[in-house]
Amino acid sequence: MIHRRAFMKSGAMALFATGFGGLPNFIASAASGQKILQPYKKNKVMVCIFQRGAMDGLMAVSPFADPNLKTLRPGLYMSPLEKEGSLFNLDDHFGLHPSMASLHPFFGEKRMAIVHGVGSPNNTRSHFDAQDYMEAGTPFNKGTASGWLNRVAGLMGHDATPFRAVSLTNALPRSFYGDNEALAISNLQNFAIQMRNNPMGGKTVSKSFEDLYDQTSSSLLNKTGKESFDAMKMLNVNELKNYQPAKDVVYPQTALGNSLKQIAILIKMQVGLELAFAESGGWDTHVNQGTTNGAFARNLKDFSDSIAAFWKDLSAYQDEVTVMTMTEFGRTAHQNGTGGTDHGRASCLFVLGNDVKGGQVYQNIKSLAKEDLEDRRDLPVSTDFRAVFSNVAQSHLKLQNSKGLFPDWNGKPLDLMRG
Amino acid sequence: MNPKQIFKTFSIGAGLTLLFAFSDANQISQAKIKMPYKKAGLNTRQAAAHLLSRFSFGAKPGEVDAVAEMGLEAWLEQQLEGGLEDNAANERLKSMNTLQLSNETIANTYLTPPQVLRLAVKNKLVVRDSVRGQDKPEYREQIRQLMVQQGLKPFVELQTQLINQKIIRAAYGSNQLHEVLTDFWFNHFNVSLTKPQCQQFILTFERDAIRPNVTGNFKDMLVATAKHPAMLEYLDNASSVSDNNALAKNPRRIQQQQNLNKALEARMGDSSMKNNAIAQQLVNAKRVQGLNENYAREVMELHTLGVDGGYTQKDVTEVARALTGWAVKPLLDDGPGKRLLDKTNIDQMQKRGFVLENDFIFRADKHDAGEKLILGKTFDGKGGYQEGMEVLDMLSRQKATAKFISKKLATRFVSDQPSEALVQKMADRFLKSEGNIKEVLITMVESVEFWQTDALREKIKSPFELVISAVRSTNADLKQPFQVFNWCSRMGQRFYYYQAPTGFPDKASFWINTGSLLNRMNFGLAFATGKIPGINVNLLALNQNHEPESAEAALKTYSQLLLPERNQEENIKRLSAMLADKSVADKIEAASAKHPGDLAMDDTDAMSMNKNLNNKQQQKNDRNAMNRKDKPFTMAYQNGNNNTVSQVAGVIIGSPEFQRK
Repeated sequence: MIHRRAFMKSGAMALFATGFGGLPNFIASAASGQKILQPYKKNKVMVCIFQRGAMDGLMAVSPFADPNLKTLRPGLYMSPLEKEGSLFNLDDHFGLHPSMASLHPFFGEKRMAIVHGVGSPNNTRSHFDAQDYMEAGTPFNKGTASGWLNRVAGLMGHDATPFRAVSLTNALPRSFYGDNEALAISNLQNFAIQMRNNPMGGKTVSKSFEDLYDQTSSSLLNKTGKESFDAMKMLNVNELKNYQPAKDVVYPQTALGNSLKQIAILIKMQVGLELAFAESGGWDTHVNQGTTNGAFARNLKDFSDSIAAFWKDLSAYQDEVTVMTMTEFGRTAHQNGTGGTDHGRASCLFVLGNDVKGGQVYQNIKSLAKEDLEDRRDLPVSTDFRAVFSNVAQSHLKLQNSKGLFPDWNGKPLDLMRG
Repeated sequence: MNPKQIFKTFSIGAGLTLLFAFSDANQISQAKIKMPYKKAGLNTRQAAAHLLSRFSFGAKPGEVDAVAEMGLEAWLEQQLEGGLEDNAANERLKSMNTLQLSNETIANTYLTPPQVLRLAVKNKLVVRDSVRGQDKPEYREQIRQLMVQQGLKPFVELQTQLINQKIIRAAYGSNQLHEVLTDFWFNHFNVSLTKPQCQQFILTFERDAIRPNVTGNFKDMLVATAKHPAMLEYLDNASSVSDNNALAKNPRRIQQQQNLNKALEARMGDSSMKNNAIAQQLVNAKRVQGLNENYAREVMELHTLGVDGGYTQKDVTEVARALTGWAVKPLLDDGPGKRLLDKTNIDQMQKRGFVLENDFIFRADKHDAGEKLILGKTFDGKGGYQEGMEVLDMLSRQKATAKFISKKLATRFVSDQPSEALVQKMADRFLKSEGNIKEVLITMVESVEFWQTDALREKIKSPFELVISAVRSTNADLKQPFQVFNWCSRMGQRFYYYQAPTGFPDKASFWINTGSLLNRMNFGLAFATGKIPGINVNLLALNQNHEPESAEAALKTYSQLLLPERNQEENIKRLSAMLADKSVADKIEAASAKHPGDLAMDDTDAMSMNKNLNNKQQQKNDRNAMNRKDKPFTMAYQNGNNNTVSQVAGVIIGSPEFQRK
């Protein structure tokens, strides 16, 4: 078996030379027949977007046909009947928020699925706890050392580049905690030894560091140091500055837009990305949530437009990518006294990809009548988040098995993916 | 130990004996610390370097020698005692005007964004129904003026001082062990700036609940944290109330509460109230609430017993019941609670079982007075406030607690995986001394495990430890301490912001990943080459203004200065090879050839520096170096160039060896 490091080096140099255009010549012979992932080959990528703060699923995808909804939230209710700024009628029961106009066509094209009434069996309404449980993938055990995406990496059954699992955040998210290597970086431009205005000095210094880390007796520093330098060489920072998205694609100038753009770059650079993680904030709408306008609508528009731009930018790579969104819980079925909603239970999520059996809302929701609500106030969880996560990961990334992906869970995965 | 050192230790020991002769005879027998580093194969300087790497934020130049000279035992006794004069730190802290404020002053002066909004509403600067428009410049200016008039300040000022004081004390404080332990115990009893309800109290939490207790009695610290507003709010105990309460069961009261709730519910649907954030706060405040188990769970899982400490979910609920009524005294001048309290006869309250102590209040009317069974012990429920105190006392004395705390200390100070035997020794001492932290630490350094080779350099510095050790080892001047915080955030440690009650994990693998490691190298470079604004490093002064003759000489000199008592041969060999690399040299030469003028200027600088190494010249050189931004990097092998020195120092600070402690 070719040593990953040796391979990586040659692969990296080739990328260095060719940038986004054509394939490096020599590389075809480099890793044939090996289990090693080939950086030049398109590989399957799962992109997860965590909506921190608990998105109001009842507003993003509104069960407008349920008569209880208008009673529970008179100030937040929207219907598909009005002309301007009304809901997109999905199936005569659910309507998509008008801010999601950019993603709506993908539902029609059956590339986007919606899962509603999804959440965790643990009824905590603490952001921290719920996110922690969801990201660990063990809703009743805080002591789980690893995150679920890290376990996905472990189940892929092949070797990886340092860019297999990348989070576009400052710190590693809980989802990526664990033994398989994962990278947290908020700006790819920073992925270099930085000697400002002094590229030559930077290279010299970089070489010194590489030698030093190569010989250290600390195995952790040695291993991570190797990975850092391999990764740095693969990622030609100079190319990043000149990146041009596909024709007519404009990413929103927001944190999420920027994160997804960088994920698109990594995918197109073919550096071995398989699991990507990005965050979207501002969903904790206790006050002045608004309807067609306002805080929620603005945030949802950014969310929708960022994903739509990302998807279009992928162009030739779309077949390889699935996007899945998630949020820690939903919000109260009724509106509160300040034009917002408080912490609730179930929310909804979106799955986008060419392998997705889209165009439908997967759900098991009874009604919003008081007696059907949890604690007489919240949309109950009727689909376990693990049923969705396991289905998408296993199917899209072709995991050979999902043993240990969600320990202590014996539920049945959903079936929203083809093949 | 050579005879001179024995004499030193002896004389200081004798001095201490005299000092303590009048105080407490017991303390003298405890004060004799025996450190078995010789048994572990270390000489005194090596042991001093190790001790400083663990019990301080890094050795300053010459400090290893000073500690070896003074005697390690004497140094540790002094550090455990604390109370050394702290002029260097105090001089830098004196412009910070928030450090001594009370919670009450802070809560009423350093306004959080919601408080600013309330102020604006009260003064009709914003329409009640609209929380928008706050981004407008004219609004911001109006509110700023109003705050100046009323002597009010934005919370961010307090927050900045909180962060800066930690940096200053760690970098320049004389009582280093107290700073290290303050960092350790704060992380153990973590509270977070990310939670709005507790953020105003974090400064006083560290100052009043943690700092005075770091070498004292564990139970005292546990109780101090339990009663502090920061913890009461962070883990929600302040809002945990019982409805199983005789006072609350008074029928008239129940009726009142029900009417109030009804009225509030009705108003919730009223659209005129829709946009009023304050109304919601009122609703939340007045609504009948229930038991909240957050603090009860974490006090056992994270503060005392540990997750495998043998308690059950039932114990969690019972502890939560015992702690109902533990809350924060009303602090806001314009709040309803304060007005009520001002009208109340305190004596009367105390007769009913209320307790007021600083900013803590025990509310007998919210306390669950029923019987409880906790860890097999029955509490009759009549104890009121004392019941909670007994529970905390009981938790602090458990075997599981002794072990959990000992293991956490050993993990911080010895290795990520401390030996079971060491932990047991420390735990035994913990139980025997009834939670005396000082004694547990002494047991640790009296164990050969602390000194053994598998513990040396085994810990990886946290980002904060990395930055502060760089500052200390170079005598750097932190004109803008906040820069330290920015770099720590980039490297993965946004201190005071860790959201979870666990605090930052104390293990190498948490700190080291590909991204954070590159940032550590970049920090070394930026720091040593003067690229961090407001952080001044004078590397030549560090070497008595002696310019090393060559890159190799610089490497040797600065390795020894920055990494005292480490084996540097391998480092030097590797880097020397790099510095002598002909191909690299050629590249640089080629690059320099394109800018002949720059090269000449660098040569001039180098020459003048060799001839005239006074401070003014140095400052001029620094300025020149700063102005030279767009020119090619001057090469390491060029004799006597200032950039060579900073580059070498930067590489050392970013090197794997410097990440270890």
